[in-house]
Amino acid sequence: MAIIKCNINGREQSLDVDPQMPLLWAIRDVVGLKGTKYGCGVAQCGACTVHLNGEAVRSCVTKVSRISGQKVVTIEGLSANNDHPVQRAWQEIDVPQCGYCHSGQIMSAAVLLRENPNPTDEDIDTAMAGNICRCGTYLRIRKAIHLAAGMDRKVGRNE
Amino acid sequence: MPFKTIYLLAILLSAMGILATTFTTNATLRSTTSAAESATDAPVKKDSATSVKAFANVYKVLMSPRCMNCHPAGDVPLQGDDSHLHTMAPRRGTDGKGLYAMKCSNCHQPTNTPGLHTPPGNPNWHLPPAAMKMVFEGRTPHQLAKQLADPKQNGGKNMEQLLEHANDELVLAGWNPGEGRTLPPMSHAEFAKAWTTWIKAGAYAPKP
Amino acid sequence: MTVSRRNFLKISGMAGAVFSLGFYVPKHGEGAKIVKAAEAENFGVEMNAWIHIDTSGKVTIFSHRAEMGQGVYQAIPQMVAEELEVNLDEVNIVFAKGDQKKYGNQITGGSSTVRGSYKNLLNLSATAREMLIQAAAANWNVAKADCYAEAGHVIHKPSGKKANYGELVVDASKLETPKNVVLKKRSEYKLIGKPMLRQDTKLKTNGTATFGLDKQIPGMLYAAVERNPRLRGKVKSFDDSAARKIPGVKYVVKTRMGVFNTYREGVAVVADSTWAALQGKKALKVVWDDSGFEHLSTDEIYKRQREALQTQEGLSFKKQGDPAAIIAQAPKKLDVMYETPYQYHSCMEPLNCVAHYQPDKLEIWGPIQAPDWVQDYISKEMNIPREKVIVNMTFLGGGFGRKAFMDYPHEASVISKEVGAPIQVIWTREDDATQGPYRPGITYRCEGVVDNGEISAFKVKLAGQNVSHWQGGKKDAPNRSASEGFLKPYFDTIKNLSIQDVPFETPIPTMWWRSVYASTNGFAYESFLDELAVEAGKDPLTFRREHLKEERLNKLIDKMEDVSGWKNRKAKEGYGTAITECFASTVGQVVKVSRTADGKLKIDHVWAVMDCGWYVNPDTIKAQIEGSIVMALGAATHHQVTFKDGIPVDKNFYSYQLPRITDIPPIDIYIMENDADAGGVGEPGLPAFAPALTNAIFDLTGKRIRKLPFDMATV
Repeated sequence: MAIIKCNINGREQSLDVDPQMPLLWAIRDVVGLKGTKYGCGVAQCGACTVHLNGEAVRSCVTKVSRISGQKVVTIEGLSANNDHPVQRAWQEIDVPQCGYCHSGQIMSAAVLLRENPNPTDEDIDTAMAGNICRCGTYLRIRKAIHLAAGMDRKVGRNE
Repeated sequence: MPFKTIYLLAILLSAMGILATTFTTNATLRSTTSAAESATDAPVKKDSATSVKAFANVYKVLMSPRCMNCHPAGDVPLQGDDSHLHTMAPRRGTDGKGLYAMKCSNCHQPTNTPGLHTPPGNPNWHLPPAAMKMVFEGRTPHQLAKQLADPKQNGGKNMEQLLEHANDELVLAGWNPGEGRTLPPMSHAEFAKAWTTWIKAGAYAPKP
Repeated sequence: MTVSRRNFLKISGMAGAVFSLGFYVPKHGEGAKIVKAAEAENFGVEMNAWIHIDTSGKVTIFSHRAEMGQGVYQAIPQMVAEELEVNLDEVNIVFAKGDQKKYGNQITGGSSTVRGSYKNLLNLSATAREMLIQAAAANWNVAKADCYAEAGHVIHKPSGKKANYGELVVDASKLETPKNVVLKKRSEYKLIGKPMLRQDTKLKTNGTATFGLDKQIPGMLYAAVERNPRLRGKVKSFDDSAARKIPGVKYVVKTRMGVFNTYREGVAVVADSTWAALQGKKALKVVWDDSGFEHLSTDEIYKRQREALQTQEGLSFKKQGDPAAIIAQAPKKLDVMYETPYQYHSCMEPLNCVAHYQPDKLEIWGPIQAPDWVQDYISKEMNIPREKVIVNMTFLGGGFGRKAFMDYPHEASVISKEVGAPIQVIWTREDDATQGPYRPGITYRCEGVVDNGEISAFKVKLAGQNVSHWQGGKKDAPNRSASEGFLKPYFDTIKNLSIQDVPFETPIPTMWWRSVYASTNGFAYESFLDELAVEAGKDPLTFRREHLKEERLNKLIDKMEDVSGWKNRKAKEGYGTAITECFASTVGQVVKVSRTADGKLKIDHVWAVMDCGWYVNPDTIKAQIEGSIVMALGAATHHQVTFKDGIPVDKNFYSYQLPRITDIPPIDIYIMENDADAGGVGEPGLPAFAPALTNAIFDLTGKRIRKLPFDMATV
């Protein structure tokens, strides 16, 4: 066991965990934030995507030791009021079906829009190809990202 | 095409102008291993037959999946022992480190992730940058040798840097590929020897 | 009659509910009866508690179905709010606990949520509205006809007097329930038929929706289970010495779960974190006893199916005329085989379940499609009175048939009992992918003759596992789903037709997968129709139209032709079509393919036309069809479950590759407008896609694909 000090969703955390534990399970079982999902455990599906220093890392293959002294944002911390442009666009288009993969989808889309405020379909495909949706909401994901790209970004964000 | 090339001279000449250019790959020149260093110190003895013979082994390694997969012809890396296009088609990006939510290090950790079919790791996991793609896939021995020896195509490396590159951390990662992946067709020491011999004997390219 | 407050609260399931109205179906096949909660005990039945209104006017609807992405969370309130005349956002929905006695069949399957209950729901809601209006009219001493309901209020038209439902519930609850309430006409709907946003979306954009895996209860431990990789059998012995050394591991116990009529054993590692449990599981060494189960490989399975189809006639599912005689005498006949693979449901949320076994009760929380079945099954298996088995449904991270099954709640319950603590069982993706049950892979032999542009003989035989056999279905009866997916009106025009089921068994557990047998039948039947159309030298849609003498289907074909530009297409341009029916809805699809500059096949466009009769939310329908097409695309061109020496080969998404955003063609969806009875929505969009795609590929390339899945890159 080791003490890992880090910042999760703007709060300083001191986690007493096995440093080999994947960040995913540390976030879910130790911190108690259940919005980040387990899908495959091998970085294939993207359901576990969180932001590590702003990058869309797959928390299922990221050892918790990697976040020592770093900044992590999970879906719960993406915005203060569920109002990040990506979240608002997801709501407006009614993107989710079962919804299980969408924490990861939204975290990936947020990085895309930060780096490319006006993505083409091809840019969206590039950014989102690491996130699987078994319900097949892909067409709506594409549509919602375009919608979010046109939205006012002045919302209470935690990043 | 006549087989009369003086690559070494070309490297030395062009290196002067290009050395200052820093490509991201040059940042990896920090590991040191005695094999290459002592080889670098040894006197150069040009010999096209020796050089070309050594390159045959170099080529075998470079065209193995462990090396070629990150030197693809397109902008999507290859994957697996069969060198298929990387699932989920991550793209190179300008710096070779991926794009948006699909940056290499989002999945490829500083070290290998345990288990079969998990992302192999290295602190500096990346493809060659867009400005100099250093493609291996599809290259003939002749093409690859010429490309490797040409600083305009090899990441701006002069002979010394090229020699050192055999011990680059990411090159070494090819011999620590993670569970279930085949190793390059010879040991790293054998590869380093072939690499050094090829370069020091004149970095000759095999006949096209 | 009087009902004590205690009883009333028990019945209504919530404190403060004053007006509580529900329906129950007295006997199968009889009409539903609407009763007040307070009267229910007098009938000797527990009513289906559906609508509650409290004194503040708050409306709560108990949903007896699971939400797994198909939109019930939104569809049921939308229906109730329409006839009850309340605003949709003022309606709360609560997932009812599993209780067959109270809610009737609760299985969320067969695309049945709306079509199975909408008439009763509308009637119930309108009855509640009428009682509230009646209460207001009596209070005001005015004619009921002068009052109407709107947005949670009753309004007296002449005077403008207005009362909130909350003010009326006490009086309304004392009234007799009226009979024969008049329902709204379709043209009067304010909510039904309109694209409404779903109520659960916001919970799914900020991580607050609680799926099974997110459920946590005090003192809960985490369990990971090593099960026999060969799908069946027992634990012979195990060595847990390494597992017990992992920090956080508390218990290692042998466990078991029921898989239909058999049991599967496993070894569970129970720990204080998921990670510790998973590490412990990896450290186990288990010796399995799977004697008695044949270790089959995929090639062998399909070899046997082909042989059976060549040598056996099987059980007759349907026979009219004498197709065999015509085929025997015909100068030219088609005789082809189609092969479809085993498939895995692959829900994004792997199986999991929380169970808390206590001396006096067992409580379960999980992503469960059939809570009443779970209650019933575990009650019997663990010898606990039914009412002491409490099954709570969470959101489901996908279901597709897999979560309508009792094995994982059973296993969780056994482990909780064994260790004496609340536990959550988590299945890894590898467990989920390799443990089954799967959709059965089926081979079809289709023979047919075309005469003068018409089908003169049509003979289909199928060989594949019958999922009902796992549940005690009779083995001497043909698969009752042998023609599921195939349009029934063909039976009227194809005079010589036979469908036969050639029995085929393996030890591999199989069950429903989205759209069930239609998902494989559709490919065989609709590909074969295409081949017959080519044989007849006819346009594939015209050929179908000529064999489908039903106005509703002809309108569907009109629409397909219209939206896809079918009639303006050029010869061999890459258009294909298929029409299938299942769960009382018909979907026709047109697929357009082309070759890219580098010679690869590409899907340019998909058009889907849905006829599901009366419907609630067109946006939900479109979402379900989009998803069905993506799932069908994966099953046709990406993935399959294969077996080697009795073990499923593909263990995770790196080899069982699901479609990604880069694979998705443009999809346009149209819904037919008519007042026919409501059909299913969640599944019928799936079966037509694969044959429409392969028929399009035939149109473009002349190559007939008869085996799924196939690789688009190498056609």
